[in-house]
Amino acid sequence: MSAALPDQAWLAALAHLPGMWPTRLAAVLDLARGEAGAGPPPPGRAAAEAWERILNGRVMLDPRVRARCGHEPDLVWRQWRTAALESDVARLWQVYRAAAVELHVLGGPGYPACLTADPRPPYLLCSAGSLEALDGPRAAIVGTRRCTTMGREIAAQFGRELAEAGIRVVSGLALGIDGAAHAGALSAHAAPPVGVVAAGLDRPYPARHRRLWQTVALQGVLMSEAPLGTETAPWRFPARNRILAAVADVVVVVESHRTGGSMITADQALGRGVPVLAVPGPIRSVASAGTNHLLREGAPPACDVEDILVALSLDRSARTPTPTLFDTRGGETRPAVHNEVLSALDWTPTSVEVVLGRTGRPLPDVAAALAALEMAGLVRGGAGWWERAGPSASASPAPTVGE
Amino acid sequence: MIAIIPAATLHGVDGRSVSVEVHVGPGLPGFAVVGLPDAACRESRDRVRAALLSSEFKWPNRKVTVNLAPSGVRKGGAGLDLAIAIGLLVADSQLGAGLVRDHAFIGELGLDGSVRAVPGLLAQVDALTTTAVVVPREGFAEASLVGRHTVRGVTSLSELVAALRGEVPWPVPPLTPDAAATEHGPDLADVRGQRVGRWAVEVAAAGNHHLLLIGPPGAGKTMLAARLPGLLPALGTREAMETTRIHSAAGLALPASGLIERPPFRAPHHSASMVSVVGGGSASMRPGEVSLATNGVLMLDEMGEFPATVLDALRQPLEEGVVRISRARSTVVFPARFLLVGAMNPCPCGEGGPPGSCRCSDTARARYARRLSGPLLDRFDLRVPITRPDVFELLGAEMGERSEAVAGRVAAAREMAGARGVVGNAQLTLAQLERVAPVTKGALRVFEYRLRQGGLSARGLHRVRRVARTLADLAGCDGPLDEAHVCAALELRADPSGLQSAA
Repeated sequence: MSAALPDQAWLAALAHLPGMWPTRLAAVLDLARGEAGAGPPPPGRAAAEAWERILNGRVMLDPRVRARCGHEPDLVWRQWRTAALESDVARLWQVYRAAAVELHVLGGPGYPACLTADPRPPYLLCSAGSLEALDGPRAAIVGTRRCTTMGREIAAQFGRELAEAGIRVVSGLALGIDGAAHAGALSAHAAPPVGVVAAGLDRPYPARHRRLWQTVALQGVLMSEAPLGTETAPWRFPARNRILAAVADVVVVVESHRTGGSMITADQALGRGVPVLAVPGPIRSVASAGTNHLLREGAPPACDVEDILVALSLDRSARTPTPTLFDTRGGETRPAVHNEVLSALDWTPTSVEVVLGRTGRPLPDVAAALAALEMAGLVRGGAGWWERAGPSASASPAPTVGE
Repeated sequence: MIAIIPAATLHGVDGRSVSVEVHVGPGLPGFAVVGLPDAACRESRDRVRAALLSSEFKWPNRKVTVNLAPSGVRKGGAGLDLAIAIGLLVADSQLGAGLVRDHAFIGELGLDGSVRAVPGLLAQVDALTTTAVVVPREGFAEASLVGRHTVRGVTSLSELVAALRGEVPWPVPPLTPDAAATEHGPDLADVRGQRVGRWAVEVAAAGNHHLLLIGPPGAGKTMLAARLPGLLPALGTREAMETTRIHSAAGLALPASGLIERPPFRAPHHSASMVSVVGGGSASMRPGEVSLATNGVLMLDEMGEFPATVLDALRQPLEEGVVRISRARSTVVFPARFLLVGAMNPCPCGEGGPPGSCRCSDTARARYARRLSGPLLDRFDLRVPITRPDVFELLGAEMGERSEAVAGRVAAAREMAGARGVVGNAQLTLAQLERVAPVTKGALRVFEYRLRQGGLSARGLHRVRRVARTLADLAGCDGPLDEAHVCAALELRADPSGLQSAA
């Protein structure tokens, strides 16, 4: 029966055994390879061979495997064997086939080259989509899930502009910055996106990003260290961030709290010699505390997409002039109350309460002014908080309100 | 011999007239009460006997039967004591039947013969058709509100019988204090800062818009809400009677004048049970907090902590203005027209603050926001984020506007609403809205922009128009809504970050 199934099926079955952690899987497979032939690993039979050894118990004769199996290796093996006897390898393989998920083992065929040289490469890698998406310059855009409106917009803008420049955007597809970066990258319909996730590829997390996962897998590639059906667990995210850092040629942190997953990604990247860029943020914004810390530690700032291209040594020769942030265009033609309200607003979220206090005007006047300024693209807000909008926000033309 | 004395009992917040029939006749000495009395009512046997003996009347050593007619209706409480005692005296020929003709009696007896107050006096007196009504002295003012009866307030059984016999004059009724002297509650001038919050309570008062205040603990949500009744105009005669009747039926203390003239303010704690909020009960149907807040303000502080069942039970009263309580034995309808003020924190950590600054995860925020069901959230025309006032504002000498001044604008705006045939603009129907709240071109553009943005739904649009109408009324402008009013209304409906679907 085993002859009908490809070696990938046995690999999947091995990965699904309880307690078959990457280090153990590596030892079991190495053993099977080593004995099947003394030379280079034989193509296509190692996993099936390892499966046989688990069933007949010979796997436990090897000291290296035993060393990886804790204090009671025989107990671990009994668990493996029980599960192996019960598992239906053909059906499991069907699930992988149906999900169009491929398995790659370190050193095996199809394993991404950019990960082979890594100090801690994932031993097993599941991918959906085409791994060819990895061929080309790759920039990771990462950041906090609890981001500000500004952070989300910057992530989307960088994502779009990088994709247009042919750079593969890599992220964890989480809420907040990650999702925004890929939403931007997809809107460019240019370079393929790359998603590195922590859960099994059939378990979208967060659930509301199901659509995003599918699109990324369709247009680029989605990768995970976890076999299908794996739910997320807190320890999986730092492990995923390591792969993210390994895949990227440059890591851009858009917004991060002082501690958090993005800071781990940045650490991992620095440890691998991957340049880390940080988007400067207001010093009072807690969502920028992490990025500002990176800048203080010497990370180069990412103020526009050119900065990222420079870090990738791909600078586009002709720099387009950046509009100045302190844009006062049209200031003379606006009614006085609009200017008053505009100067009462900060570049970080300001509550309506504060605006009322600073202008001393009644709510209807202030509200009308805010709405007019919003339509003119000069402010943005909602939920009782308003902030001034950067020049990029005014890129989309909006109708202006008559006075 | 037999005596029939008119009396009344309470059913929900309505009175029902009851005939107390007392028969004293031959047979083994005994005392039976029939006609569906509840426990308190059945115990009146012992109270009446002791009261008669302490008041130096004779106890008939014969068979005494008391029937409470109609016997199919349940009677509750001790309010029938006085009628049973008088009936006994008449049936035992200790008191002339002619002396009690056309008199009704309501009151509870003490063992020493004193007459005590009973809940729901106003409703019970209202159900009586006799010329004279004898009530406990404490309830004189309340019973006089009905205005159809000669009301006698008495303190003891012996005093009552002496007055009935004409041996002493009827006791002088207690002086009712001047209604104008009643207190208006806390003043809005005490609130420092809170400019948005002030606008919100003013609009809520002027248009009867339900208000949801969202802010961190200690920001002043409760303080603002407590000042809302002070902005509402005094109750009209009909509303005052209705509220008094409900409060009386619930056994709450009434003002000295007997009439509740200021809008009530009720703020149940979030541990309140469903029955205490909505009304009901097994023995007697008692009005709940929603009814007690009728014509006034119901405040639910820490709204997210209320059980979901209690919150969802608010939907019928909010929609229909009444609560229908059904039990196996009876069904009662309590009025429940109130201005709902909710207060809650923006997220589990309570701090909220600008987007991206709070330490709660997105999921935690979403879960917290889900405690208010969509339909309930939808009832709030005004959803206002409240921030803690600045240090300078707290310490500054600048006082806000006084309640009096705001109440003046509110009264004017409510008059404009009254001219449209509604109490507040929140009650405007869609057809009325089309007629009385046209929008200018500029305002239309604002709506268009927001609708396109997806920040406004069709239903939200009408609610915003109602609030904008109120804002325009407050500004004294009767014409079409311009963009200032519409934008302000949109700003007062700012869904705080936790409550919008996070994405």
